[in-house]
Amino acid sequence: MMKMVQKATPWERFNHWVLLLSFFVLTLTGLGFLYNSLSWINTAFGGVHLARGIHNWAGIIFAASLVLTMANYLGESLKFGSDDFAWLGQLGGYLSGREAPPQGKLNAGQKLFYLLVLVAGLVICASGLILWMGAAQGTMQLVHLLHNLAFLILVIVVPFHVYAATALNPGTFRIMTRGTVPLKWAKKHHPKWVKELGLE
Amino acid sequence: MTTQVYAQGRTRNQAGRKGLLVTPERCTACRGCQTACKEWNHLLAEKTVNWGTYENPPDLTSNLYNKIRFVEVTGNKDIDWLFISRRCVHCGDAGCMEICPSPGALYRTREGIVAYDRDKCIGCKLCQAGCPFDIPRYDADDRVTKCHLCDDRVPHGLEPACSKVCPTDAIRYGDWQSLIAQAKEEGYQTVYGEKDLAGLGILYAFKEKPEYYGFDSTPGIPASVAFWKGVLKPLSLLGLGASVGAALVHYVTIGPKEDEESEGGAA
Repeated sequence: MMKMVQKATPWERFNHWVLLLSFFVLTLTGLGFLYNSLSWINTAFGGVHLARGIHNWAGIIFAASLVLTMANYLGESLKFGSDDFAWLGQLGGYLSGREAPPQGKLNAGQKLFYLLVLVAGLVICASGLILWMGAAQGTMQLVHLLHNLAFLILVIVVPFHVYAATALNPGTFRIMTRGTVPLKWAKKHHPKWVKELGLE
Repeated sequence: MTTQVYAQGRTRNQAGRKGLLVTPERCTACRGCQTACKEWNHLLAEKTVNWGTYENPPDLTSNLYNKIRFVEVTGNKDIDWLFISRRCVHCGDAGCMEICPSPGALYRTREGIVAYDRDKCIGCKLCQAGCPFDIPRYDADDRVTKCHLCDDRVPHGLEPACSKVCPTDAIRYGDWQSLIAQAKEEGYQTVYGEKDLAGLGILYAFKEKPEYYGFDSTPGIPASVAFWKGVLKPLSLLGLGASVGAALVHYVTIGPKEDEESEGGAA
């Protein structure tokens, strides 16, 4: 049998699915609110009134889930070394096909992605909460702007994350379902992590 | 509501537009318009206190769609005491309608009225953020309220309650374009609301500069709302589409990173 390494704990996987599903619901209802032409989405969610409730409460779930991811990814994402900059410099070799510099448990793209999602996510949650609770006109104008700005960042970066974790890197999606990867795969994609684990 | 949704956006056709011409010099502050508005709309009276002026209630509320502001201008030889109707001015380019996330909650009637459908309002209060004049108020059910220019009278050929009762013609109802012509004929060089925001449904015949009456001389949709509408909103769907598109293009051109030796085990 092939030797496997655990990359994500059951809790980590569960929380990632909560984050994913709440983000999906929030994006759909959010698009329904943003564009008149997409308001049928909110009709499908049971009408605009129910959609508002779903959007707000899904936001609470998303916020809680996002805060909890910090225990899993923040420490690792803040470790930026020369290999990470080199990785970013050649975009992980995804365009050139070249071998990328050796990476730790998360590669530089994942680290940067996580930091972007964390910042944009915290901004979208905080601004959303203020929009929900209501505030003075100037504050409402500002948070309305920030809410949509963070949304713009998220809808641009998240599709790349989904692509990278599925079709772009066959075998990666297993981390979301089983949490384990073959040692061979880990050595190829995250050699510094395997070294840290002492499995080399 | 008996009126039809005419459009969601900006007023383009001024020809069929109806409006009010407000002339502060003619107003005696009888506040018949305030009362008639409440009567027609079945709005309750509010308990007020003496706060040093005849002006009451002090602000627009969900029970007060139209109020007469009392403005004392001192510093001249004489004191100027101005009485001005404050209410939704039915912007031709309405910030509230731009920002509203619930289609049809705020809509424009054939007469150019910015009307609303309480059943569609979700109580988000973004219209307050989008309004250049601080007008919308929320009722106890958290639904939007404001002057709707009697959209339950005007389409049936009746004039709004406020202009109907005004004894001095300080509030006059009519075709929007005719009202402007009329004001000019009466010697008002600039009519407030003729140009800004694609024209305001409520026109003001001012003798002095708008600031004298407590109005912004260059009203506009708040900059943040204009930026959101012009840049962030279109970019959002564009960004999402471009991102998904780029991933698809990458997949079919450059393609995935296949791991020859480890793929079998990983799949």
